[in-house]
Amino acid sequence: MKNTTILLFLGVIVLVIGGFVFASSTKPNGNTITGNAVNNGEIQRITLSTKNYNYYPDTIKVKAGQPVSISLDEKVSGCLRSFTLRDLGISKYLKTAQDTLDFTPTQKGTFKFSCSMGMGYGTLIVE
Amino acid sequence: MAFKEFMKELNGARIEGELIKTLFYSLLTSFAFLAILYFLKFRYITDFIGKYGVSLFFSALSYALVVPAIKQVKAYKEMPCMSGMMVGMTTGMIFGFLPGFFVASTNGMFVGSVFGMVLGIIFGIYNGKCCGIMGTMEGIMAGFMGGLMGAMTAFMLLNDNLKAISVIVFIISAFIVFGLNYMIYKEMKEVTNHKKQDNLFSIVITFILIAITTWFIVFGPRSALFQ
Repeated sequence: MKNTTILLFLGVIVLVIGGFVFASSTKPNGNTITGNAVNNGEIQRITLSTKNYNYYPDTIKVKAGQPVSISLDEKVSGCLRSFTLRDLGISKYLKTAQDTLDFTPTQKGTFKFSCSMGMGYGTLIVE
Repeated sequence: MAFKEFMKELNGARIEGELIKTLFYSLLTSFAFLAILYFLKFRYITDFIGKYGVSLFFSALSYALVVPAIKQVKAYKEMPCMSGMMVGMTTGMIFGFLPGFFVASTNGMFVGSVFGMVLGIIFGIYNGKCCGIMGTMEGIMAGFMGGLMGAMTAFMLLNDNLKAISVIVFIISAFIVFGLNYMIYKEMKEVTNHKKQDNLFSIVITFILIAITTWFIVFGPRSALFQ
C-alpha cells in the first residue's frame, strides 16, 4: 500500500474519532443561572462564586437607584478576582472575600461584567 | 520542483518515505493506549469524554505530528547552522505550544505552562543539537516561549470557543511541521547515507508522551479554577 493511501486512510479515521469526541463533549457554559441580589435594607448585596470556569451566578438582577455591593467568595481565583463592569466604567481587584465593589446603578438596562481579561463574564440586569 | 520531488519521496525509499508510516504507528499507539485505558478505567469517570476527550484526542494527534519530524532529523544527524536553528526553533515551539495548550485547557495555566515548557525545551534540545550550540539554544528558547504561549492561549479562551481554536491551532501546527519536513528534505536531499531508525523508537517515545500527558490531564495537579 502506498504511503499517501495510508495517509488518506488515517485522515478518515481521525475525522471519525474526532467527530465522535466533539459530539460527545458537553458545552461548559451552555446554561445561564440567574441569581437575584439580596436586598438587605437599602444595600443590594451580591456574592459571586465560580462554576464551570466562570462566575456563578452569571446573571444578576438589581434595582436601579439602590446601592449595590458585589463581593467574590473564596472559590473565585486568578484574574476572575479583578471584577470589571466596563459599560459602567467600574473595575476593582477584590483581593479577599471581604472586599466589595460598591456602586449605585442609576440607569436601567443590561450590562456585561467580566474579569479584567474577559475570561469570565456575565450579565448585570438593572430593573 | 523540489516540492514535487518531496511529495514523490513520501512514497520513496529515503527517510521521507518513513514519515507517514511513523505518523501511522504513533497514532495507532496513542489511540490503542487511550482505548484500553478507557475501557478499563476511564469509562467509569463521569462525563469523561466531555471533560477530557478533546484534549486527549488532540494530544494524540500532536504527538503523531511531531514524532515523524524527530525521526527525520535524527536520520540526518548533522545539519548546517541555519537549518539546524530552524529545526530547533520549530520543534521547540510546536512541542511546547501544543502540549501546553491542551494540558492548560484541563489543568490550568500553571500546570500547562510547566508541562509545555519542559517538553518543548527537552525536544528543542534533542532536535536542535543537530547543528551544535546554536540549534540547542534556539530549541531551549522556543520551548520556553511555546510552552508559556500555548498554556496562556488556552487559559484565556476557556470561555470563548476553546474547541474551535483547538482545531485551528492544530491545523496551523500541522502545516508548520509539514513545512519543516519539506525544508529538511530540501536542505539535505544530497545526503544519501542517512541512518534510518526502526519504528520501535517512535512507538516507545509516543507511548511515554501520551502516558504522561494522560496522567496529567486526568489525574494531575490543577489550578484552583479547575478543582
